[in-house]
Amino acid sequence: MPQPCPCRLAETGDCILCSQLAGKNFCDCCNFNGVCIYQDYASNNYKAKKGRKYYNCKILKKSKFEENIIIFTLEASDKLVSELVHAGSYVFARRPDTETIFDTPISIMDTDTRNNTITIAIELKGSKTKALDVLNQGDLMVVKAPFWNGILGVKNINSAQNSKCLIVARGIGQAPMIPPLKHLYTNNNEIIVVLDNSPYKNSFVNEYLERYASKVIECNTIFRGRITEEFNNILDDLICNNDISLVHCDAADILNYELMKAIEDKNKSIKYSCCNNAKMCCGEGVCGCCTRKNNDRKLRRLCKMQTEPKYIFEGRRIF
Amino acid sequence: MKVIVIGGGWSGCSAAITAKKAGAEVALFEKTDMLLGLGNVGGIMRNNGRYTASEEIIALGAGDLIHLTDKNSRHKNIDFPGHKHAWLYDVNKIEPAVGKYLEAMDIEVNLVTRVVDVEKEGDRIKGIYLSDGKYIEADVFVETTGSTGPMGNCLKYGNGCSMCVLRCPAYGPRVSISYRAGIEDLKGEREEDVYGAFSGSCKLAKESLSDDVIKELDETGVVVLKIPEEDVNLDKLRLKVCQQYALKEFAENIILLDTGHAKLMTSYYPLDKLRKIKGLENAKYIDPYAGGKGNSIRYLSVAPRTNSLKVIGLDNLFCAGEKAGLFVGHTEAIVTGALAGHNAVRNYLGMPLLMLPRSLSVGDIIAYVNEKMNSKEGRTNRYTFAGSEYFNRMEEMGLYTLDINKIKGKVEKLNLTNIFNEILI
Repeated sequence: MPQPCPCRLAETGDCILCSQLAGKNFCDCCNFNGVCIYQDYASNNYKAKKGRKYYNCKILKKSKFEENIIIFTLEASDKLVSELVHAGSYVFARRPDTETIFDTPISIMDTDTRNNTITIAIELKGSKTKALDVLNQGDLMVVKAPFWNGILGVKNINSAQNSKCLIVARGIGQAPMIPPLKHLYTNNNEIIVVLDNSPYKNSFVNEYLERYASKVIECNTIFRGRITEEFNNILDDLICNNDISLVHCDAADILNYELMKAIEDKNKSIKYSCCNNAKMCCGEGVCGCCTRKNNDRKLRRLCKMQTEPKYIFEGRRIF
Repeated sequence: MKVIVIGGGWSGCSAAITAKKAGAEVALFEKTDMLLGLGNVGGIMRNNGRYTASEEIIALGAGDLIHLTDKNSRHKNIDFPGHKHAWLYDVNKIEPAVGKYLEAMDIEVNLVTRVVDVEKEGDRIKGIYLSDGKYIEADVFVETTGSTGPMGNCLKYGNGCSMCVLRCPAYGPRVSISYRAGIEDLKGEREEDVYGAFSGSCKLAKESLSDDVIKELDETGVVVLKIPEEDVNLDKLRLKVCQQYALKEFAENIILLDTGHAKLMTSYYPLDKLRKIKGLENAKYIDPYAGGKGNSIRYLSVAPRTNSLKVIGLDNLFCAGEKAGLFVGHTEAIVTGALAGHNAVRNYLGMPLLMLPRSLSVGDIIAYVNEKMNSKEGRTNRYTFAGSEYFNRMEEMGLYTLDINKIKGKVEKLNLTNIFNEILI
């Protein structure tokens, strides 16, 4: 169980895990994560634990990649770095002189527990990300952390051992690819990476690929919302000639979804995970920004709720 | 055909055995690392009407587990307040014995495997999901997950997790399978609108008791010690599951039974007060570990069912043990389990489901408890062959007898001798 359980959602009967804290009077504990959240809530005098803290992190290094991506290496406490090592970890970052509405969710690209640093890559998109571009080496960045739900189907990554895995990453998706890549490598998996640099010319993660990937295939993965023939042929070849047990994708939802369907078509036993692209404002399940209701009418708070990609993509309502 | 049994307590083991005997392939799933669940801290068999029920189930052909408890008994035919001719099985020997028995029958036993959800197709259960996400299909399912815990219930309706033998923090919580399949659970009440009831006994480490107490336990199986007057708490009897032990004698005395450990016949008892009693100065709890503070909460998860133990509203789910009503005890679990496992196979074959006749105590209790679940008063009681309301009924109806030949004859007359031994497939 994540450390901040029980959170504010428990106080209002909206807990995403515990039936007792979600308006029911009896246990229906099919989401058990190792401790009883209701027990923790009671021992905390029926109050939520404190939410995530804001940390002032010094920028140790800033670099720019092809005009539109900035990569920061930040100094952080030993504790915070250790809490952000898991695949799927993310933070909210903003400039110290801006308000909390500037909090922007950014995946962890890398952590260094020896030097206590975290690395994040940011694509300059709108006012929140552009506000961060003003910062330079030596400045402070405000970081709210830790958050963990950056990957849907993360247990498939955590359980993969001694197997062959395929990672597909496109554009800025190359940044959140690094923690799963490292994790899979550490667990003795062989990793093949299909890389689509577009809309950029080059990759900013070459050094990681060299170290952790057994093979890197560059290609155009998607065109007008469909997987390209080139990519499809590569997939067929990889799946036929390798005993792939897991496919992980870090891309826009359209590719995350198309690839999920393609893999399911080719071999049902291959597990699938992908990055969580939900828009987020608070990360605490409160703002409502990341909620999604599919046609099963179940409300999902994607900043926190861990589930398989298919339960997010399938049965989606148009509006 | 394949039967999946969810829950490896006495009723689950019993269901697995009868389903196997009837010809099914059987897989049993148990969340902890041991079979028998609370049976690992139980031990009392054949007291009062349980004697009759045990002999009836033997005559019906499902005496396998009764023979095992008989064989592993530490004491036979002992009396203690309100109870006659009790047999006490050794809780330190019974679990491996049952495990080996199931293994020899070629029943697939999956330990440390927790079932958390089901996949449905209409009113049929297609398969089950394990906590690790694995999915397994079968033709018929028997739910024997019991009604004890998990931690949230023990906290909300009791004094919190007392670290009982079910070890929810370690092996994960019980999940009500019928509820997951869309059937609302019925709940027992211990008094007007107070839900659940405390488990009724604890276990003390025998070695922690005085030499005199140990000697008497070993020799006679029972020790009765007087509680200091200032500590007598009659109110506590109301909290108990086991109404057959909710007698004045049990409030005024400490009653210990030798089941390998010293079984303390009370829900919980503060350790400092317990240690004031002569012979218990160094007493130590071993189940629940926090027996000084509380005990597990039960009866919050009963499935609505027919007298053939099919869950109402689902085509292929059966239930037994506490899941099937406000039953107390191993014998009751074994009896209901046997019927549920057997009927699982009949259900698959499209045969009429077996209902045990009310002229036998084992049939009568199943029907009687079902009737009682319909009334609010009925839901505040618990039912056992061993005492209180149901044993009184057994005596009144002439169902209670110690005459084994009479029982055999009765079952024979009903044409049910060895019915559970019949191979159906």
